[in-house]
Amino acid sequence: MMPIWTKSGKKHAVTLLKVQDCHVLRYISKEESGGKTSQLLVGGKNVSPFYKSESAMEIFREAGVPRKQKVTTFNVTDDALIKPGTPLYAAHFRPGQFVDVTAKTIGKGFQGVMKRWGFKGQPASHGQTKTHRRPGALSTNKAAKVYRGKKMPGKMGNIYRTSLGLKVWRINTKHDIIYVNGSVPGHTNCLVKVRDSVLPTYRDCNKNPPFPTFFADGDEELPEDLYDEEVFQFTEPSVTY
Amino acid sequence: FSSSSYQTSSDGKPGKFQPPPKPVIIDKQRQTEERRFLSPEFIPPRGRTDPLKFYMERKDMIQRRRVFNIPEFYVGSILAVTTADPYAREKTSRFVGICIQRGGKGLGATFVLRNVIEDQGVEICYELYSPRIQAIELLKLEKRLDDNLMYLRDALPEYSTFDVNMKPVSHLDHEEVPVNKLQVRMKPKPWSKRWERPKYNIKGIKFELPEKKMKEAQKWSQPWLEFDMLREYDTSKIEEKIWKEVNEGLKK
Repeated sequence: MMPIWTKSGKKHAVTLLKVQDCHVLRYISKEESGGKTSQLLVGGKNVSPFYKSESAMEIFREAGVPRKQKVTTFNVTDDALIKPGTPLYAAHFRPGQFVDVTAKTIGKGFQGVMKRWGFKGQPASHGQTKTHRRPGALSTNKAAKVYRGKKMPGKMGNIYRTSLGLKVWRINTKHDIIYVNGSVPGHTNCLVKVRDSVLPTYRDCNKNPPFPTFFADGDEELPEDLYDEEVFQFTEPSVTY
Repeated sequence: FSSSSYQTSSDGKPGKFQPPPKPVIIDKQRQTEERRFLSPEFIPPRGRTDPLKFYMERKDMIQRRRVFNIPEFYVGSILAVTTADPYAREKTSRFVGICIQRGGKGLGATFVLRNVIEDQGVEICYELYSPRIQAIELLKLEKRLDDNLMYLRDALPEYSTFDVNMKPVSHLDHEEVPVNKLQVRMKPKPWSKRWERPKYNIKGIKFELPEKKMKEAQKWSQPWLEFDMLREYDTSKIEEKIWKEVNEGLKK
C-alpha cells in the first residue's frame, strides 16, 4: 500500500495490484451456464503443469496457454465476448473507473466468539468464575432451541470477500499495475479478482473504456503511466493555494 | 637531464625564466572517502513484499527529488520547512525546528521537527514527499548521539528552543558530519517514558538520578538481543544497489 496525493493536497492510501499473465480460457454460453448472461473463464498467474491431472489440464491445452494457478468466471454480455487465448492487460481498466475486488481473506484459524463476531465478553473481575470471553446465553427461554446460524466460535477468515466501489487512480502499462483506492481483502501477494463495479452509483461512470478489452497489437500506443485527472504527478512543481 | 621549461624564443636568446608548473597532488585517500549518504527511507524493510513494489515507489521518489530538492539531514539537524497552507494569509507557513525523529519507508517517509515557541513546545510531523511542502532549508547539519530525540520533551526547554530567524550555518561538502556530544539535562521525574531503561539505549542524557535507580533500571536489560541472529538485517548490498539506482535516476 502506498500514499497518493491529489492536486488539492489530500492524501489517499492506494493498493497496488499486478496483472500477471492473465488469459481468457473458455467461453461458456448462456444455456450451458444456466444464468442470464454468458460467461468467460479467465485464468491468472502461470504455474508448473506437473502437479495436476490430465482432465484438469484439458482446458489449458485447448486454449493454448500454460497452466494457471487460479481460474474464475466473469459474467459477460454477448457483445463483449473475447476469443479464448487472448492475454488480458492492466490497460483494460482506465483511471477514474470504479472496481470491485474479490479475494480470500487472511485465515485466522479457529477463533473465539469475541474476535470472530465482536462480542463484548464478560468483566475481568468482580466475581466472574471462569467466564471472561464466552458467548453467554445462546437463545431465549421460549424458543427452546438454538437457531440455525447462531454466532459461535469457529474457523475465521480464508473465505472470499469483496470490497466494492474502489476507485482506480493510476495504471502502469509497462509493468501491468493497477493502483486501486483503499485496502483490498487478502494477504500481500495473494491472487485477487478485479471486476467493474456493480454498485448503482457507479453504473455510468465509464466514459470510454477499451471495449471488449485492451489488445496489445501495437495499434494504440499508450503512455507508460496513465493518471486520473485529480492525481498529483511528481513531475509537477509543489501544490500552491 | 633535460629541463622542458627552458625557453627558446625565436631570437635564439634564452627567454624569461618560467618557474616549473606546480605539482598536482592527487590525494587518493581523500577521493575514496567521499561521503555517500543514502536517505534511510530508500532502504526497503524486511518482509515478503514483492521487490517490484519498492521499485515503483523508488521511481516516484526519484522523480520527486528531481523536481524538488530534499537536502541531506540527520536526526539532530535544524531545518526550516515552508508548506502551502490554504488558511494562512500568504498561503504559506514556515516552521523552524530540530529533527527529532525520521520514520516511515518509501513515499510515506516522515520527519518530526520540534521547537519551543513562546514557552509552548510544538512538534510538527511532515511527510518528505508531500506535494504541499514548498521548500526544505537546512539551517545546521549536525548529528547527535542518538537516533531518536523524543526525550527532548522531558528535557529542559532551553534544549529545544531555536531562533526562528536563524541564519543557515555553512557546512563543507567533503568534511564529515559533526556529531554534537551534548548531554541534555532533564526536568524532574515523572517523564513521558522511562528514558533510563536500557531498551531506549540513550546516550545523550546527563542522568542525575541516584545510583540505586540506575542499577534498578538495568534489571530490564536484555543482553541477548544483540546476539539474536534472526533480528540481523544486513543492508550493505541492498544499499549499494539502491545507491547506484538513485544516483543514475538523479543524474538524468
